[in-house]
Amino acid sequence: MNDPCLIFSNLTLGYAGRAAVHHLNGSIARGSLTAVIGANGSGKSTLMKGIAGILKPLGGECRVSPAISVAYLPQQSELDRSFPAQVRDLVALGLWPRRGLLGRHRSEDRTAIDQALKAVGLSGFERRNIDSLSGGQMQRALFARAMLQDAQLILLDEPFNAVDERTVTDLLVLIKAWVAQGRTVLAVLHDHQLVQQHFPQTLFLARRLVGLGPTAEVLQAENLRQARHFHEAWEANAPWCAPASPPLPPDPAAPPHAHAHFHANSNSHG
Amino acid sequence: MFKTFRLATCASLLSLSPVLTAQASAAELKVVASFSIIADFAKNVGGDRVEITTLVGPDGDAHVYEPRPADAVAVSKADVVLVNGLEFEGFLKRLIETSGTKAPVVELTKGVEPLRLSDEPAGHAHPEAEEEEAHDHKTGEAGHKHETADAHDHDHGHEGHHHHGEYDPHAWQSIKNAQIYVKNIAGAFCKADKPGCATYTANSDAYVAKLATLNEKVKTEIAAIPPEKRVIITSHDAFGYFEHAYGLNFLAPEGISTESEASAADVAKLVDQVKHDKASAIFVENITDKRLIDQIASETGLKVGGTLYSDALSTADGPAGTYIDMVNHNIDTIKAAVLSQ
Amino acid sequence: MADIFIDPFIQYVFMQRALAGALILAVSCGPVGVFLMLRRMSLTGDAMSHAILPGAAVGFLFYGLDILPMTIGGLVVGLVVALGAGAVSRFTVQKEDASLAALYLISLALGVLLVSWRGSSVDLMHVLFGTVLALNNEALGLIGGICAITLAVMITFWRALVAECLDPLFLRSVSRWGSPVHFLFLGIVVLNLVGGFQALGTLLSVGLMMLPAAASRFWSNRVAPMCFISIGIGMVSCFAGLVLSYHASLPSGPAIILSAGAVYVLSILFGTRGVLIDLLGSGRHRAA
Repeated sequence: MNDPCLIFSNLTLGYAGRAAVHHLNGSIARGSLTAVIGANGSGKSTLMKGIAGILKPLGGECRVSPAISVAYLPQQSELDRSFPAQVRDLVALGLWPRRGLLGRHRSEDRTAIDQALKAVGLSGFERRNIDSLSGGQMQRALFARAMLQDAQLILLDEPFNAVDERTVTDLLVLIKAWVAQGRTVLAVLHDHQLVQQHFPQTLFLARRLVGLGPTAEVLQAENLRQARHFHEAWEANAPWCAPASPPLPPDPAAPPHAHAHFHANSNSHG
Repeated sequence: MFKTFRLATCASLLSLSPVLTAQASAAELKVVASFSIIADFAKNVGGDRVEITTLVGPDGDAHVYEPRPADAVAVSKADVVLVNGLEFEGFLKRLIETSGTKAPVVELTKGVEPLRLSDEPAGHAHPEAEEEEAHDHKTGEAGHKHETADAHDHDHGHEGHHHHGEYDPHAWQSIKNAQIYVKNIAGAFCKADKPGCATYTANSDAYVAKLATLNEKVKTEIAAIPPEKRVIITSHDAFGYFEHAYGLNFLAPEGISTESEASAADVAKLVDQVKHDKASAIFVENITDKRLIDQIASETGLKVGGTLYSDALSTADGPAGTYIDMVNHNIDTIKAAVLSQ
Repeated sequence: MADIFIDPFIQYVFMQRALAGALILAVSCGPVGVFLMLRRMSLTGDAMSHAILPGAAVGFLFYGLDILPMTIGGLVVGLVVALGAGAVSRFTVQKEDASLAALYLISLALGVLLVSWRGSSVDLMHVLFGTVLALNNEALGLIGGICAITLAVMITFWRALVAECLDPLFLRSVSRWGSPVHFLFLGIVVLNLVGGFQALGTLLSVGLMMLPAAASRFWSNRVAPMCFISIGIGMVSCFAGLVLSYHASLPSGPAIILSAGAVYVLSILFGTRGVLIDLLGSGRHRAA
């Protein structure tokens, strides 16, 4: 098994003292293709933001291996569609890791943008305004941007929301190409069929870890039943969790294990 | 017990009486004056018998003044309220209403021949004055430069409580008018406080006499200025009456109110005026921003001759702490600047 | 023709200076206004003109009616208000328009308090706010310096500014510079406004910032062209306004802003992205 590119140690993420994700432990192997699933409110987007470094943990830690660059593709709703920009401007944002704050764009960047657009099937869209794109086209543009970032770990937050089937097929091809190149991909998905067909690994969340490992194992009836009973809403009078224990030092000798975790007293965490 | 009560009452009344009589011999009259120049007149007429509160103090600008609650309190407690009138005090009407004062509001410009705001470049539409010095008028050279547009332009949107009428309100700039102000004050004081009338009349006469001397002095000084050097530039059109009475010619970019804004045409005309050797001095005022005057001065090479006091006195330690000082300062400054060019 | 448009500027030094100062301000304010508008902060200028009062009041308390301390005071307070509003909206649940409204009102009230306490009845703001016809060397230098700083900052941090507006979450995932650049931008806004107020008055300053930017929306759909267009519109308005002020005796500030306003209305109607183009669509469409 490859070395882990991502390790969660007792990770708790949330907002204003309320945890969206509790005490997550586990690791993601390099070069793996993992689907992140769970019902609405189960903490999937929060987890993505935590890994991307946008959200600071309330407890525990989320460690990305040092040499790994991260690309984060947020849900589309966060983008300002009415901003006067063309597709090429949006995609060019992906060059940021290469150029930094002050660097100028060079001529090879133009070529890179064109190639990225071609790879996602948006050739000819360079000068289209972003407010004229359909949902599928916008998603492809965002994929092109992620491509330009040339990152080793790619986080996709609900990439197939409101996207037509043809686009989904095309983007899946792209994702698999990335994995073939040795990159690690995590994708938040709702379609369990899609997950079973295309994603070898699954991380199942219900505000806590329900399962992490090969898809067939994780998507068992027992897990699905357990997850259905999780508390989606935050309880006003839930007891406080014990303070997070310090993160375990990484043990390079031990192989990363991926199996289902259960917290015995799941209900006491409210 | 009842006896003790009566004894106590008498005792307390007796003990209070010195206080009451003491008060009676101090200020008889509470006076509110709208701005510093009127306040000075009132002090001269009333002497110790009056206690004066001034709304727009020294170096203050009545054109843009916004009253405070303390002002309303003072007005409500006043026995007499002295104002200029001719819509000089834009803030006044609502202040009087809010205060609910019973005091008479005396417009001191009553009896003054007001000058109209005119947009005719040559000469004025003013009625013939009684004044005997009508001879020293400017010789019809480019008269007042206010376009009515200037006087009514307000681009600062101050809740619309400033509006200016058709008359120039700066009547006090003519000493003869000042004498009318003083006499009006004496009349008002007499009405409000009959026992003091004799004092007021005496004070008023004495002050009017001083003003008469001042008037003569000003006339003489101006007569000493050659006719071709009598065009002067100031910040705003405050000196109409002075000009009318004494024969100098005042031009200004800002029109009647400090709230208005100059147009490029106005400034250009003034620059032309100076350049063609028709203006001999340029002055800033104590209540306005001097940058526009500086600009005209630097473009024309004319040095700023000093500060004139137009709508307000200076502080007591300044050069124009009283009306008489103000006039003296103005005329000395003008003379020095004009004759040195 | 020449005597209408050129002569006034040849004949009078104050006209040349007015034109120079106004043009420089148009160049400086144009891009700033475009970004303000895109961030939906168009009313910031107006709020700022009130917010700087306590700064000017403090300057006045210590130094009297001297322009420089009042300007510096206004600048400091303006920065506190703008950056404070930015910080509140970034690190708390409040959005920027509300935090700015709250802070500028607090500031204004403080300012009125300070002015009343001192007892002066001179309208401080009246003295502080200048007029384009009275630009002395200090004022021109001030505007020139502000323009230089503004252009330098905008050009250097252009991509960050655009990214901040377009996809702030993405920017946060790739860079720590999102917030600092945003605050820098707010600082530039305050600099332009306060410097503009002092030299040219509030109306001109805020107007030159927002009107050309608003009009540019009807001509282009990319940020860079919008900035150039708004600079262009600003410059034309300054020229036209001064000519009007000269020939028709109109006050200079309002004349410039009304010229910009006329361009704005014309842009709504006749701009390439305006109303008429929409209505008069040729009715044809391409096959593919």
